[in-house]
Amino acid sequence: MTDIPIPAPAAAPVPRAVPRLSALALAILLVALVAVPVAVGNPFVYHVFITICVFAALSTAWNIVGGFAGQLSLGHGIFYGLGAYCGMLLVGAGISPWLGMFAGAGLAVLVALAISYPCFRLHGPFFSLATIAFLEVFRVLALHFRDLTGGATGLMIPLKFGWTWMVFRDRWPPLAIAFGLLLLTLAIAWWMRGHRIGFHLVATRERESAARAAGVRTVAVRLVAVSVSGALTAMVGTFHAMYLTFIEPAAMFSLTLSIQIAMFALIGGLGTVFGPLLGAVLLVPITELARGWLGAKALGLHGLVYGLVLILVVLFLPNGLMGLAARFTRPGKAARGVQAATVAAAPRTAERPPVGDDIVRVEGLQKRFGGLHVTNDVGFTLREGEILGLIGPNGAGKTTVFNMISGFLRPDAGSVSVRAPDGTWQHPSRPADYAALGVGRTFQIVQPFAAMTVEENIMVGAFHRHRDVGEARAVARETAERMGLAPWLGAEARGLTIGGLKRLEVARVMAMRPRVLLLDEVMAGINQTDVRRAIDLMLSIRDTGVSIIAIEHVMQAVMALSDRVIVLNSGQIIAQGRPEDVVRDPTVIEAYLGKEFVHKELVHARA
Amino acid sequence: MDVFLQVLANGVMLGGLFAIVSVGLTLIFGIVKVVNFAHGEFLMVGMYLTYLAVTGLGLHPFAAVILVVPVLFLMGALTQRLLIQPLLAAGDHHIQIFATVGLSTALINLALLVFGADIANTPSSGLRQPVEIGPVRVLLGQVVILGAAIVLVAGLQLFLARTRTGRAIRAVAQNRAAAELMGIDVDRIYALTFGIGAACVGVAAVLIAPLYPTSPNSGTYFVLIAFVVVVLGGLGSIRGAFAGAILIGLIDSVTGFYVGADMREVAVFGVFLAILILRPSGLFGRQLRLSHVSP
Repeated sequence: MTDIPIPAPAAAPVPRAVPRLSALALAILLVALVAVPVAVGNPFVYHVFITICVFAALSTAWNIVGGFAGQLSLGHGIFYGLGAYCGMLLVGAGISPWLGMFAGAGLAVLVALAISYPCFRLHGPFFSLATIAFLEVFRVLALHFRDLTGGATGLMIPLKFGWTWMVFRDRWPPLAIAFGLLLLTLAIAWWMRGHRIGFHLVATRERESAARAAGVRTVAVRLVAVSVSGALTAMVGTFHAMYLTFIEPAAMFSLTLSIQIAMFALIGGLGTVFGPLLGAVLLVPITELARGWLGAKALGLHGLVYGLVLILVVLFLPNGLMGLAARFTRPGKAARGVQAATVAAAPRTAERPPVGDDIVRVEGLQKRFGGLHVTNDVGFTLREGEILGLIGPNGAGKTTVFNMISGFLRPDAGSVSVRAPDGTWQHPSRPADYAALGVGRTFQIVQPFAAMTVEENIMVGAFHRHRDVGEARAVARETAERMGLAPWLGAEARGLTIGGLKRLEVARVMAMRPRVLLLDEVMAGINQTDVRRAIDLMLSIRDTGVSIIAIEHVMQAVMALSDRVIVLNSGQIIAQGRPEDVVRDPTVIEAYLGKEFVHKELVHARA
Repeated sequence: MDVFLQVLANGVMLGGLFAIVSVGLTLIFGIVKVVNFAHGEFLMVGMYLTYLAVTGLGLHPFAAVILVVPVLFLMGALTQRLLIQPLLAAGDHHIQIFATVGLSTALINLALLVFGADIANTPSSGLRQPVEIGPVRVLLGQVVILGAAIVLVAGLQLFLARTRTGRAIRAVAQNRAAAELMGIDVDRIYALTFGIGAACVGVAAVLIAPLYPTSPNSGTYFVLIAFVVVVLGGLGSIRGAFAGAILIGLIDSVTGFYVGADMREVAVFGVFLAILILRPSGLFGRQLRLSHVSP
């Protein structure tokens, strides 16, 4: 595969000036967060800016789970409250909140893992409901154990001043700490989004099955995300408790607070690194100004504004303020007006390596869906460097077999073994195990990571072998070039045509550099010229030693590619052998035309 | 023994209350496939309207139905038309959650602005009178709520099963595209369903207001329980919600008496979490057929 030169980086239409402009705006914003209160010197202004920093940090931390991983927690008050109580109780025991902060973070990680592991099976609103329920439980428990928490009366910090106790007479030290925490969360969120973990999280959010096929350990990465998010939230909670000097269960384990944190992120831009900061900067002052200027008269005013802004953003700016900003700065959709590219003509290597020993063995697979026997005693072997065609009429059970030999379905009986690179035979079970052994697959119904660019989509595959972002990007670009996707590198996958998405499926799995490639109808939706080129591409992939099983309906491709063909009908193998023999087999012809034909005639006769 | 019977009776009464609040929520979820986080605030609005009707117009709380139910129906239908409808096309569940969360936040705070944080007590109009049924003693208003919940559940079931509109609603719930092909105006059905769901909570509001204090946050307590009930009963199942409500009422009452009043919520939410995690189709749900729940 490395025999194809990597194209010049200029091929990717990434506007360079824009990030620089955004970086400048960001820098100005961050400097202003410190400079304005120091310059004005008014205690109230200090308070407003400290609160902005606190909420921006909370919201940024939330966004690691809610935005990157797409798990909309409405219970982040749990972590905030844990941090606050942990810090406060340790201060009571004479331990500095600087240590309490980390104790709180550690506790938050434990709680986050315990809560999330079962809850990650829930999606969308059910996950949110579960987090709310946990939050309520924590609040009630905090009220109940009043010996520890002070119950409804709450806890006051002992007024010991100084850096050790995080309590100050001056106004600037808390601002410095709040700002420092904000920078820390921003830095961690930024780092995560730019590295493998971030790609894995977004891929999992966008399409869990495709992420698993690309070897992403979807549960593990989300647990990492929630741990980091919980720990950061708890640290901010500890600081905020010291700053507020008083805590009580209703204010700490608060649903309103949890909703606000999420709200700022959504308004700023869900899943963006700096969106939550923007949301907090714009909305927090409303609360504080309403409180400071209008007092009790304006009770509820800021909440009303929050709610209305949230509704408007949801309706008209689903990508938040960052999405709005991007609309103005991005020079149109990269995909528009680009000439349709074709699959690059694959240079054939001179020699085809000889077909080697078995690499995949499938024995006696059985699968029933209720009363339907979809796979009945299917067994075959795939040899190294071979292309095995898998054909059969609709509903024959081809994709079900694929799902069982890639870990997505557990067979009722039978076994799948894959020979590892070291020569031992393994029995993988989960998709990640298959991926680790070098088994890659595509999906018949395309599964793009819709909100990611084409390049990022392919990078998710490339991360399977490369930890480094730069290497993954290089592999992605090279693969995109081969698959004729180079002009769309910077475009979001949701903008591609079905043919483009099919190619993207192949590109993503190719970037994994698989040893065994399972292709599910990749030729469907590709035009005639490209079918020819795609065939050449498959052959060139095979010639690098990759073993391929291809489900295909395009007979031209089946005939040209396959060394052997297996024909499935009603879950059973009805024929196998060389392609030219199989197509002449009477049972095969009957399976495709005969019975179907007869059946149709019957239906007509009845009607 | 009498004490235990009394605790059970209280639980059943509480269950009736939870049922009447949950019916609308489960209807909306079952048909429109949207979790309405603002459901509790619909209840709160209904309770304030009842309060105003009783104190301002001097109506009997039950007479306030004439005012509250149409207003709530309109609120529900408009929510669907203006807020949910545009988002259904986007097919993004994340955004849908925040739409109703935003509505909930806006309504709570609007109530704070208009009515302040003080509690509004609707005159009880004799509904707080105790009634003796055998060895147990309950409030007249509670009995009315339980009766109304049963009538409402049975009525909705009949409506969905027997009427043309009811069949259309069920068809839309089964398969939106196929229903549309059969000439059903899906958008109208959605708005109607959301309206009916909100109207149900309007009925609940009228019956609850004389017994419970009304405040901007009244809805939050009830809606959290309603979510528990709806999940327990199998999302979208009206009969399941009723059974779930009675069960939660009993758990609440028994825990409150034998463990401690402050542990009731822990027990209720504990059950909720256990169901969500172990049996997301609900205790009474037959099949897991929710796109929200991962395979």
